[in-house]
Amino acid sequence: MSGSVRSPQTAGARRLADPSPASVEPAAEEELIMHLERDQFVAETSRPVPRAQLTRGARIALWGLRVFAVVVSLMVIYTFIDTLH
Amino acid sequence: MATTETHDPPIFAPPVTEEDAARSSDRSRVQSARTNGRRWWLLWLLVGPGILAMLGENDGPSMIAYASDGAQYGLGFFVPFIPALFAMAYVCQEMCMRVGAVTHRGYGELVLQRFGSVWGWFAAADLTLTNLITLVAEFVSIRVGLAYFGLGSGVAVALGLTLVVFTFSGGRYWRWERIVLGMALFNGLFLVAAILVKPQVGAIAGSLDFSPFPGGSFNTLLLLLASTIGATVTPWMIFFQQGASADKGMTPRDIVHGRYDTAAGAVLASIFGVGALVAGAALLSHGGNGIQGFAGAGYPEALRRVAGGGAGTVFALGLIEAGAVAILTISASTAYAAAECVGVTHSFNVFPREAALFYAANFGIALVAALVILIPGAPLLSIALNANVLATVLLPVSLVFMVMLANDRGLMGRFANRRSTNVIGVGVIAFVGICGAAYGIDSFLLVTHVIG
Repeated sequence: MSGSVRSPQTAGARRLADPSPASVEPAAEEELIMHLERDQFVAETSRPVPRAQLTRGARIALWGLRVFAVVVSLMVIYTFIDTLH
Repeated sequence: MATTETHDPPIFAPPVTEEDAARSSDRSRVQSARTNGRRWWLLWLLVGPGILAMLGENDGPSMIAYASDGAQYGLGFFVPFIPALFAMAYVCQEMCMRVGAVTHRGYGELVLQRFGSVWGWFAAADLTLTNLITLVAEFVSIRVGLAYFGLGSGVAVALGLTLVVFTFSGGRYWRWERIVLGMALFNGLFLVAAILVKPQVGAIAGSLDFSPFPGGSFNTLLLLLASTIGATVTPWMIFFQQGASADKGMTPRDIVHGRYDTAAGAVLASIFGVGALVAGAALLSHGGNGIQGFAGAGYPEALRRVAGGGAGTVFALGLIEAGAVAILTISASTAYAAAECVGVTHSFNVFPREAALFYAANFGIALVAALVILIPGAPLLSIALNANVLATVLLPVSLVFMVMLANDRGLMGRFANRRSTNVIGVGVIAFVGICGAAYGIDSFLLVTHVIG
């Protein structure tokens, strides 16, 4: 589970993908992972999902909500600091 | 994204990680239970994220807020209001569970990838801010509970941080979840406290019509509404339940059980929350409105004087439990958010050495919060009281993205929201937004003397 494309050569991936004698046998490895859906694998969830195409109106609404939330948060923080005095 | 579960060996050869192997091992038990028709065992295997999100939100500040409602206003409006809020929370959390089960991705990474890094980082920043403030309040809650037994802040810090480190051991999500779940069930201590104060059952039943409505100033009412909402639905729950559902390995076939899990959490949390309120209501005629909930031993000590040592002890233990569980779940939500946004491994199914940022964020935010309560003269009471309000103010933005993700047919396919869910979801966002904004604006105008 990773937010961006990640090399499979992470420590965890190396451990099981490494064909050294100490690694897991292919049959055992298949047994290990056979209960997962294809899109549950770390290799799959590491691929980013495509960007959504937001309409201009949606973008304006989201920014409006964000600005409103920041302004009200600043009011709450100001009130909090004022009441401390 | 939206696929049906299959158990055939994959025909491609992905690089297999320890995380995959651990999750597959957990899924093998789910598949076995489903195949053999062991319904209760299947339910036991699949519950977790929903109950943890809901009982995690029954944290120290929330339980003190409910007790304060009871001590100040007695039984009345807030008795049915708390279950109504948890019904709202169910609508939001069910969406989180569903999106996590279908996409196998956390909230932070989906917002970042689907809507852009600006929105992803905004969400993570909101979460970190509110989580840090809330975690301070959790340590204060543990300190209040321990103060009843004559123990100080140092013990509260040591207990909280030790628990965080202890739950890391094992490198398995399943182990982490079961430890925290076992602790969370002790949230029922608040129900025991309510029974020990010997309430009048008829008075509780009589308040189910939302009466009497709390009196006092308009600003006080707004504060109570905003803080009580913030005690029930918060941004960390969204990050946590979606991330935990994905980490647990839930799939679209598990959505029905995920709903049971979330509903059970909502029911338990509302019962225990009302328990705290009923216990607090025992103080109504004993100067309950004058008790400083986060000062000294606060409510446990007051309950001991009014209802006996048993009630005080159980309430104090409940506060320690509520704070401890919330430290674990809120720290975990911070870790999911931070690692998802940076794009590194974010799973309890990996050992700390292979997911350094995930575990460092988990422990780091708890450590910073712990250090704050050790600062002499820090305004802990004000911090604790404002934590819920700030979470309420920032919540609508998180909920809007949650609804957008749950409606995204590119991600969700046939598991996208129905119209009825959207109507309720938009109603919840509007209600939370109006209550939070009304308190913020009204308070600001009062302190700046724009209004009297």
